[in-house]
Amino acid sequence: MRKPFFIILALLGGFVAAFAEAPQAIIARAAVAKSEKTQGEILTELMGNADDSILPLLDAWRKDRLFLYDAPGMPPVVVLLQGAKDAKGAQQASDILTGKSLAVRLVADDLNAVPHSANLRRIMKAVLDLTDLSSANPAKKLGAIAAIGQGQQIEKLPALEKRLAVETDPQALKALREALALVRLRSSDATIKLSALKELEAQQSLASTDFIKTVIKDATAAKDDKLVAAARSALQAVERHRTVVDFGGTLFRSLSLGSILIIVALGLAITFGLMGVINMAHGEMIAIGAYTTYVVQNVFANGLALSPFGFSLSLPGLHTTGWWRESYFLFALPLSFLVAAAAGILLERSVIRFLYRRPLESLLATWGVSLLLQQLLRLTFGANNVQVGSPAYLSGNWVVADILLGWNRVFVIGFATLIVIGVWLVLTRTSVGLLIRSVTQNRSMAACMGVRTERVNMLTFALGSGLAGLAGAFLSQIGNVGPSLGQSYVVDSFMVVVVGGVGDLIGTVISGLGIGSFDQFTQQYSPTVAGALANVPFVGGALQNLAQDSAVFGKILVLCVIILFLQWRPSGLFAARSRSLD
Amino acid sequence: MSPTRITSLFSVGALALASLVSPARAEDTVKVGVLHSLSGTMAISETSLRDVLLFTFDEINAKGGVLGKKIEPVVVDGASNWPLFAEKSKQLLEQDKVAVTFGCWTSVSRKSCLPVFEKNNGLLFYPVQYEGEEESKNVAYTAEAVNQQATPAVDYLLEQGVKKFYLLGSDYVYPQTTNLVLLEYLLSKGVPIENIGGGFRKDASGKIISAGKYTPFGHTDYQQIVAEIKQFSAGGGAAVVSTLNGDTNVPFFKEYAASGLTAESCPVVSFSISEDEFRGLPADKLVGQLGCWTYFQSIKSPANKKFSEDFQAWLGKSTVPGIVKDGRVTCSPMVLSYDGVYLWKACVEKAGSFDVDKVREAWKSGVSFDGPGGKVTTQPNMHLTKNVFIGETKADGQFKILKSFDNVYGEPWLKGKFKK
Repeated sequence: MRKPFFIILALLGGFVAAFAEAPQAIIARAAVAKSEKTQGEILTELMGNADDSILPLLDAWRKDRLFLYDAPGMPPVVVLLQGAKDAKGAQQASDILTGKSLAVRLVADDLNAVPHSANLRRIMKAVLDLTDLSSANPAKKLGAIAAIGQGQQIEKLPALEKRLAVETDPQALKALREALALVRLRSSDATIKLSALKELEAQQSLASTDFIKTVIKDATAAKDDKLVAAARSALQAVERHRTVVDFGGTLFRSLSLGSILIIVALGLAITFGLMGVINMAHGEMIAIGAYTTYVVQNVFANGLALSPFGFSLSLPGLHTTGWWRESYFLFALPLSFLVAAAAGILLERSVIRFLYRRPLESLLATWGVSLLLQQLLRLTFGANNVQVGSPAYLSGNWVVADILLGWNRVFVIGFATLIVIGVWLVLTRTSVGLLIRSVTQNRSMAACMGVRTERVNMLTFALGSGLAGLAGAFLSQIGNVGPSLGQSYVVDSFMVVVVGGVGDLIGTVISGLGIGSFDQFTQQYSPTVAGALANVPFVGGALQNLAQDSAVFGKILVLCVIILFLQWRPSGLFAARSRSLD
Repeated sequence: MSPTRITSLFSVGALALASLVSPARAEDTVKVGVLHSLSGTMAISETSLRDVLLFTFDEINAKGGVLGKKIEPVVVDGASNWPLFAEKSKQLLEQDKVAVTFGCWTSVSRKSCLPVFEKNNGLLFYPVQYEGEEESKNVAYTAEAVNQQATPAVDYLLEQGVKKFYLLGSDYVYPQTTNLVLLEYLLSKGVPIENIGGGFRKDASGKIISAGKYTPFGHTDYQQIVAEIKQFSAGGGAAVVSTLNGDTNVPFFKEYAASGLTAESCPVVSFSISEDEFRGLPADKLVGQLGCWTYFQSIKSPANKKFSEDFQAWLGKSTVPGIVKDGRVTCSPMVLSYDGVYLWKACVEKAGSFDVDKVREAWKSGVSFDGPGGKVTTQPNMHLTKNVFIGETKADGQFKILKSFDNVYGEPWLKGKFKK
């Protein structure tokens, strides 16, 4: 008598499942489906049906932590591996359908992860977007709102409206209104469309450009003049806003590029500007700073094995995690200063001190040293670039009025300000600074007064090299770290120092900012300017083509302007009298 | 002295003896040229190709060589110096009289030694993706043509619902030509021209002569370009098609990640980043970004498993001075070099001769080889029919294969081919 009862129960269970299938079941069904297309269709069923319980599942799927487990004699089970790995690398496995743990522990490497393509992830994202509308994480919420808006699916309007009614965060409210307006552009009702356009016009939403253009196109085709006019005026408002954003963004990028130039050139402003040594190895001091950062990063992680000249040298790792691991960069900054300064002292003692009154020879000698150091780095760390990761606090961004402020860029601006102030304080407010200034201004007189000029030279050179090391530490965050890293910056550094005027720090600061702004503004605006000049006979077309490669064009123009500038003021912006110029 | 030590001494002695004796038995060997940059900027990429070629020669020699002759490699260094490539190929062809040469990476190095190969009727096997618009009877292009990399990638993006494409590249012949072909292709697929980003250059008559944004080698400041991409992709449905070459990818992708752009909001498909390049790139910044090649190390096939295991084993034993043994991977240009050697062997055996004209006839008649990336077949236009794969970058610098196109015919002449 028992068997039929069970069959009925099973049938009933199947029925219930078919009507209100649990989201977990849908995911399990999608995971074992044959084709990507079917998987997508099954996942789409989750829309509106999802709750918070599936978030970890979809997340695990996207991160390759959802596996197919083929137990002998059973259909494949979709399992989630969690918890700590034991000695064999096995983890606790739970069946996602029932949520219960399996009796066996499984090793991730033995199983096939449930595959996922970009398309599937997009569908998962759409599902998550709907759930994320009520997420506590503001970034997630904003991303979800924008994605739904750009999807322009009328059937998602209720979800947005529901959220709008309960939302309190002003930023999210703004985003919601924008998204609602974007979706409503697809409405069949002309008045709703008009009010949506009004909303976009008021919001000056940059993301809506393409959508408004589509409205203009459709409305023109449909000869709906009123709609065309409304859309045109909305587009104009957006474009006006874009000019402001472009200008603000360019200003910020100018500041950041200028700061990089200042950081890179400040060391040289001391070794070349104050001491008069044409230091071609300045770039390698930067590289030493960058490699120091690389070493510190690895010591904070799992250690580093090096094999300079065939010797094997292994640095133990501290195996830090979390915040400590991230903080490596804060330790790397002072260390790269010290290491580069030490290298500077070595260079000064062994080569440069014999060449103080012979600039040409010091040029050749330091160039030789630069090649030597490059090869040394190559032999120690390998010819390939090494990877320096960015800590989380340097890899995010703020968006203020649609202007993107990358944290690394904000950091470099602050960092440059601090260094400049620091160096200025050292030179003007400390006894060491007094000695440095006295020796650079008149070495013989300073020597007569009992200043140990040899030692001051050494210290000054160490300070300049140390600053180059700091620059290297920062550059590791935005670019390549390789043996020839210094080569790409040494020319820029000389340019900044020469334009600024040899011997004056303020000159270096102003010229760094000036060159940075000039470069960024040409990059941003040269296509526009060239476009305006397109009808000028002979040169118009050529100019436009040149300006198209604005990144190169900016650099060419900077060099031309500098050459002209130096014709006018050969000794730079702030000409100071110093020993080297006597 | 332990017995193993003694045997190893013996084998070293035997090797030394063999190298002394080999010139005397020249008729039993066939000279083959290897022309890659082993120093200079391109050395990082090209040294891997030299390594895989030497491995392939050893593998063939261990099985009896080609037509009963052992391969004797003549390795020369192009030193990333384009005119030097011409000089070195002259040396290979006129002094060493090699039967065939495997070499070149950049298009400019190929263009530089092409006249030498044509004058001496030599044969060059060229293994790296290139821009097409060339078909010399003296070059066997095992490389990916534009329709075996760029257009399949764009097909994939279109299929994924991408509507806007931003073209970005390094400033030289390969990206410039590829992007022009892509522009025509996108227009033929119905993508409106205002949805193609990066800008255009026009000649006096208004014809587009260059499409996309270009930066020089070694460019470091991508702030403005990334800000432009951010605005370009603000409305969703956008992707970047990148032909950026070498280490400029690092500052680009660091800036890209810092600006909050992701593979989901605006994917980047790169044509110059293979597994080998990831040895110097921050793979974690590129997770989810796309690549398109005719081979990925992650292909699951017995042929690929055997190839990569044998190569690693060979590396372990290799006595080539200065060879890097740790952390090595295999990538498409390496596999196309490997396939090239075997295809040459098959052509020689079919022709029954090392004569370049006869080998070429064999090539044109269609010869196949089952390589690590699947079957490759030679074509009358000196190119190869091969499989194409789209992959997605993983954090360990490997690709996860998303889609494959089987037996794509290599077509070098694409400009003007796609019409609206």
